[in-house]
Amino acid sequence: MGTGPPASRIAQKAKKKPPFPFFAPVYSLLAGWTGLAFWLLLLLLLALYPYTGVSSVALFVGSQIFVLVTLASNWNLIGGMTGYVDFGHAVFFGIGAYIMGILVTGTPLLISPEWGFWQALPASGFAAALFALLVGLPTLRLKGPYFSIAMLGTLVAMREIARVLRPITGGGVGLNLPPLLNRLGDYYLMLAVMGLVVSLIWWIQRSEFGQSLIAIREDEIGAEMRGINTTLHKITAFMIAAFFTGIVGGFWAWQNTYIDPDVVFVEARTVEMVMMSMLGGLGTVWGPPLGAVVIYFLQDLLWGNLSGVHLLPLGLLLVVIVLFMPEGILGTLGDRSSTSLGRLLSRVGRSR
Amino acid sequence: MRNILSQLLLLLITSLLLTACALAPPAPVDEPAAAAPSADGEKIIYLGAAVSETGKFSREGKDTRQGYGLWLDWVNNEYGGIKVGDDRYKIELIMYDDEGDPDTAARLVEKLINEDRVDFLLGPYSSFLTQSASAIAEKYDKIMIEGNGAAEPLFERGFQNLFAVLTPAGNYTRSALQMLAAKGARTVVIAYEDTAFPTSVANGAQHWAAEYGLEVLGVETYPVNVADVSGIMSKFKELDPDIFVGGGHFNDAVLFIRAAKELDFNPKAMVITVGPSNPKLIEEVGVDTEYVIGPTQWEASMSYADDYLGTAAEYAARYEDLWGEPPTYQAAESTATALALHIAIEQAASLDTDAVRAALRSLDVVTFYGPINFDEKGRNAGKPMGAIQIQDGEILVVAPSNAAVAELNYPAPPWKDR
Amino acid sequence: MDQLLQALVSGLLLGGFYSVMVLGFSVIWGVMGVINLAHGEFLMIGAYMAWGLFRFFGMDPFASLVLILPLMFLIGYLLQIVLINRVVERPHLMTLLVTFGLSIAIANLFKIQFTSDPRNVAVAYNGSVQLAGVTFPIVKTIIFGVALFIMVCLHLFLQRTRLGKSIRAAAQNKTAARIVGVDINRVYAITAGICIALTAAAGAMLSPTQAIFPFMGPPFTLKAVTITALGGLGRIPGALMGGMVLGVTEIFVSTYVPGIGTNLGVATSFILLVLILVVRPQGLMGGLRPIDAEAE
Repeated sequence: MGTGPPASRIAQKAKKKPPFPFFAPVYSLLAGWTGLAFWLLLLLLLALYPYTGVSSVALFVGSQIFVLVTLASNWNLIGGMTGYVDFGHAVFFGIGAYIMGILVTGTPLLISPEWGFWQALPASGFAAALFALLVGLPTLRLKGPYFSIAMLGTLVAMREIARVLRPITGGGVGLNLPPLLNRLGDYYLMLAVMGLVVSLIWWIQRSEFGQSLIAIREDEIGAEMRGINTTLHKITAFMIAAFFTGIVGGFWAWQNTYIDPDVVFVEARTVEMVMMSMLGGLGTVWGPPLGAVVIYFLQDLLWGNLSGVHLLPLGLLLVVIVLFMPEGILGTLGDRSSTSLGRLLSRVGRSR
Repeated sequence: MRNILSQLLLLLITSLLLTACALAPPAPVDEPAAAAPSADGEKIIYLGAAVSETGKFSREGKDTRQGYGLWLDWVNNEYGGIKVGDDRYKIELIMYDDEGDPDTAARLVEKLINEDRVDFLLGPYSSFLTQSASAIAEKYDKIMIEGNGAAEPLFERGFQNLFAVLTPAGNYTRSALQMLAAKGARTVVIAYEDTAFPTSVANGAQHWAAEYGLEVLGVETYPVNVADVSGIMSKFKELDPDIFVGGGHFNDAVLFIRAAKELDFNPKAMVITVGPSNPKLIEEVGVDTEYVIGPTQWEASMSYADDYLGTAAEYAARYEDLWGEPPTYQAAESTATALALHIAIEQAASLDTDAVRAALRSLDVVTFYGPINFDEKGRNAGKPMGAIQIQDGEILVVAPSNAAVAELNYPAPPWKDR
Repeated sequence: MDQLLQALVSGLLLGGFYSVMVLGFSVIWGVMGVINLAHGEFLMIGAYMAWGLFRFFGMDPFASLVLILPLMFLIGYLLQIVLINRVVERPHLMTLLVTFGLSIAIANLFKIQFTSDPRNVAVAYNGSVQLAGVTFPIVKTIIFGVALFIMVCLHLFLQRTRLGKSIRAAAQNKTAARIVGVDINRVYAITAGICIALTAAAGAMLSPTQAIFPFMGPPFTLKAVTITALGGLGRIPGALMGGMVLGVTEIFVSTYVPGIGTNLGVATSFILLVLILVVRPQGLMGGLRPIDAEAE
């Protein structure tokens, strides 16, 4: 009686079958402590990157990519590792953005004095986590697509509520935040948040907590019978994912200097998170970050060369990924015989 | 679990390292912009704009691009370049597609300023994208002059570098309401989409209604992408007003007219923003658009003229020559945007941001698009809003009086008598 | 009193459209467990077809159903064979993503082909008639009638015909249906064909009442989810009731709440969705398929 979540087969197969031959050394290197070491080295290099005298555009692009990686990793914690496919995760992004907007503008709640960015940022995260607790308690009882749809409904409902609560949120007119932009500061802030989140996911996956999450994904009833407090585990994972998504939302509101319901409570942002996780490899630590980077540059490439039709290939790409490499880049490379692309690649590998 | 401590230690060390790096940040390389001479000694002014080619604003974005493009073509090939003192400067316009996405728009504006090193920025299409783009321009102290963001909140942020040639949204319904009040209308109801631009229109409508002695019987909002406004219309039907004011986008104009006819709601005049001045509305909705009144920023039949592009009609002919379609007012205001910058640079006789800003502040000219005279917030205070009415399937200007080509038909007959 | 009656009539008429709009979505979900996120796009395709036939051949949108239904049946049938049958056995995330990818691709294809200019079908009879002090919009009343007719037909088809019975059998127990000789793939393809044809028909009927543009789909998909949650999966009486409840609720809220009524009406439907899923996931009317079928 498995709940049939998306990633269950991935993990089982990955354990049973040998990894893809020429990728195997890299794959096993990524798996444990060495993976973290590589990650920390990468973070260090990224921290040194601004010293090479780059323009503020590069810093801005950097922080945008870090935002995507953080979002993808967060979604992966609840959607990939726990197996609860959250189609409304952007709601936490929106909550974070609105808490930031309301606190720093001070109006119309008449908070005086207005909060600073550094005070409002944690508040964004905690508000999102609190909201996750309230929403998660009832919705995490739902199974499969019902959870997905309930979260999608929550997202859209919050968007409409933000519109109706005009005295607090500014309604559809939105909120204008003070335009105090600092690209370098943004870069380091998001680098730190991204580093923290991905390292945390790495740690969670190795911890008892993470193993319990995977057990819930594979067989929730079985996990419960073995004495795992499934509700507590699910809610905790959900709240962690929501907390950092809220932080990112708050940051985004600050950086964009303008928010309204349609720009922060938007389904496309959830889809982005799902797509990046899927492409990289659902339920893996390094897959979602990889997927985020690939999608960012792919979008850029398509935008540059196919301006005007770039969304069409993106939609088709999504279909192709699902049909031919549902286990993502890492899944496909690490487990050669599970997908058609994996089989194809493995034939090429053997002929060498 | 034994490894937790060492793992946390590692994390701590990394975050310390990161903090150390962040504490001694190098300054990003930001050289001052320079209008450098090109290889063959020609002097060039670089302009930049991020305008939607794809995404939700693709249609209006195209008008904006073509509007900028017309001015560019004219200034380089016909006018011979902008006069700055004794020199003539050719113009290079760098345009990117912002996809209607604020993240992309922000990145592109950043790129225009810091990598392409443009001298001045032209605005994107829509109030929504202008919000984030203008904040970046303000941060780097670059002048952004725009003709496609009319929402009032844009001008409430105290920006020094944002200028808009179009009549602010608050004045959209002014001339229409004034005229209707003079014709004997007494009551008005207002429905508007609750986003920035329509809200400004509706606030303005309430203000001007009070000014001209009209009683506001009801005000209703609706969300974007609404599928059905019959709830609003049946409520208004009970109130039986003289004037219906609808603020929204093109789709909403279709919905309002359809719902009013379906529910037999008969206001004596319907004033709807955005839709009526677009010939597509008549094409799609047909005869039910008769008597509908719409504010317009600009129409080719208006009597404005300047020394650069000639009269409004000449501008329209030139536009049709170049692009093969008549100009919309979005296109005209985009051309006017670039033209206003052009005139300001010539008056300042300098490319220095401060000098051009000062020239823009004191600018007071009449163009093919209408008078341009910026107030202290950067809005064009000098230009009155026009009004059109659809009569016999044609869009005819009925206000302001010096540009009008037809008399306003009031009251409109009830649906069943048409 | 007049206003109350009028609101009720408007709500029921809107509800009639919602019920027929949701049928295709609800049956696909009920029969094969696929949540079709491209639902709104198929509606949009139907609306564009009606617009094209009206604009270039002067064909009435209701008459054009004769062409749209078979054509869209074929498209749905092929789409199911080529694409959806490949993922229908996979975890539900996969089908969600495939249909979502389709919705992006279709909407943008239409944008490239038809631009994002809004279109509308201006039929001559789009006025209203007065009956007992209540205004009946003619087009919406016709939609209501056609919707009821379609629902009765579909109900009879599913209950009385051999094919309808095999569809229901496939929905209730796939394995058992296979054992007694039902060709599941073919049944799925026929189901998809019928559902997509019905969705496009709803779009075609909608074309005289609102603007048609490439990105009109997603709000309808979301509403379809809400109505399905209200009425239960794959049940025609459920779709009817769910549609009516949503239609009447939206119109009542927008009529009786001053100022922000229409905003609140839109919000209500989604708040309703979350509440129903949390309190009673099988919908108010129960479902064609057991709620925990996913767990098998």
